[in-house]
Amino acid sequence: MERHIPLPMLILAVLGFAFMLMPILVVVMAGLTAGEFLTFPPQGLSLRWVAAFLQSDKYLSSFFFSFRLAVMTMIVATILGTAAALFLSRTGMIGRGAMRAFFLSPVVLPGVVIGFALFAFFIATDMGISRTIWGLWIGHILYSTPYVIGTVGAALASYDTSLEEAARSLGASPWRAFRKVTLPNISQGIQAGSIFAFIVSFGQFEVSLFLSSPNSEPLPIAMYNSLRYQFEPSAAAAGIFAITLVTASVLLTNRLVNIRRLLERQQAGG
Amino acid sequence: MSYVEFQGISKQFGETLAVEDLDISIAQGEFFSLLGPSGCGKSTTLRMLAGFVTPTTGQIHVHGRDITRLPPEARDIGIVFQNYAIFPHMTVYDNIAFGLVERNMTKRDIRRKVEAALEQVGMSGYERRFERELSGGQKQRVALARVLVIEPEILLLDEPLSALDKKMREEMKFWIKEIQRSVGITTIYVTHDQSEALTMSDRIAVMEGGRVLQVGTPVEIYEYPASRFVAEFIGESNLLSGRVQEVTDGRCEIDLGPAAVPAQAPSGAPLSEGSEVALLIRPEMIRLHKVSEDEAPMLEGRIAEEVYQGSLRRYQVETAGQKLTVEVANRPDLPLRSAGEAVALYWNTESGVVVR
Repeated sequence: MERHIPLPMLILAVLGFAFMLMPILVVVMAGLTAGEFLTFPPQGLSLRWVAAFLQSDKYLSSFFFSFRLAVMTMIVATILGTAAALFLSRTGMIGRGAMRAFFLSPVVLPGVVIGFALFAFFIATDMGISRTIWGLWIGHILYSTPYVIGTVGAALASYDTSLEEAARSLGASPWRAFRKVTLPNISQGIQAGSIFAFIVSFGQFEVSLFLSSPNSEPLPIAMYNSLRYQFEPSAAAAGIFAITLVTASVLLTNRLVNIRRLLERQQAGG
Repeated sequence: MSYVEFQGISKQFGETLAVEDLDISIAQGEFFSLLGPSGCGKSTTLRMLAGFVTPTTGQIHVHGRDITRLPPEARDIGIVFQNYAIFPHMTVYDNIAFGLVERNMTKRDIRRKVEAALEQVGMSGYERRFERELSGGQKQRVALARVLVIEPEILLLDEPLSALDKKMREEMKFWIKEIQRSVGITTIYVTHDQSEALTMSDRIAVMEGGRVLQVGTPVEIYEYPASRFVAEFIGESNLLSGRVQEVTDGRCEIDLGPAAVPAQAPSGAPLSEGSEVALLIRPEMIRLHKVSEDEAPMLEGRIAEEVYQGSLRRYQVETAGQKLTVEVANRPDLPLRSAGEAVALYWNTESGVVVR
């Protein structure tokens, strides 16, 4: 059966997509310019700024710094977020709603507030982690964990707890029942959450602005600093790599998840 | 000698008392049903036995062992859930093997046992299927196999038929009973469906509002209900309000207003004359005849309504200021009655049961 989409809706959808994709297009085109300056539309196409990015110590090191930071953040945010989501879905204690709102609040709060608050806290307590990767890490974890809580919470909402009870009464300890039954059944939510955490950390700007140090800058900060002093297309080229990395990680997870489903189906059919 | 024993079990959830002062003894090998409307506490009772809910007060003993505070995995009790709870990420084989793996059996023993269990429930050849590829009845069989394969001391069934369609339900009713009988496992069955409980059980506990109202065999529960609630909950019932007129060993006379009828006195405390009671007469126990026959009828009335139901006809009869339901088998030798017709109602004295 052919699905009919009303024309006005189709136009709206196309416009919406165009609006969202435009900045990406601008960055990619600007990074491929042959001219000296960051302009749009580009003055001719060339890979000279991409090459410049790949040869620039500053950009490459900040790219890998961001990557490392995002992976570290993803690992901790996934564990903390999953644990928090499990707690929120199972506890019967009063104030659960308030606690959920509190856990999710970093999403609602402006990043500037979190960045500034942490910066002031690190300085005031003299912990020695302000403007180090550790302080930055804490800020990113704080900022990305709610995304994991959100996706894992959604997975748990549709998870039938009698599955875990069945495992328990068949002889599994609480931990074994969790690992062998609950975890595989909420893994989609965990995977989605960890990818969110990675992307959010990789693109994080405001928190990083307060907490990063000049010699180890995450990519967004490096791009911002460079654009402040010289209007160079290599920042746009760096943007191309950032977009590529994020897109690749999303596609990859998507692929992994689908492949697993496919395998299950084949096994079942065979 | 009781095998499963609930002693003074209560469970409070916040303000609500889900189960109140419950005492039940269940014998080894018995098929015991907890029957009642939703919210009566039957599921909570089952979950306390399984170990998912800890009682607020009281103790549960199985085979003389106090299991009240043991975690579920230490209880050796198998449970089949209402939605079967088949692990969706595992094959049928791995589902059934789950409990055996947890018991650290060798691969060879596991294979042998899983195959035997699949055979027992008629699901051989389905090893590699996943939950989403099974019908409701097949899920039920897998869930049962997964529990029976670990040879638990007790089998718990939580409304296992409610997710099936009517035809499948009838089939599975007898199948479950047959499996239970051949294995000989002590079984506790939770249901809100009185016909399931009557068909399958050795004994039934009727529950309401967190309390057990009556425990007895299906015959006792159906024919001698201890209260109005039980009488109305189990099967179709006519309850006529009346007053005790006369009591003479085992028999009594109940004044229904326009007429007095003889009835069987209930066991237990003797009836006191003049007390308000209800007289229970099941619809199928009443015979309809033309008025003016030799034998004096119990009551006389008039047909108010007639409903055709295939295997039987159901009449509403107005009598003694109340409406009685009468079921008559749909047989050519039994005459048809039409609305407005005057009829005489007969039943055997022992079919009229006094309910306090």
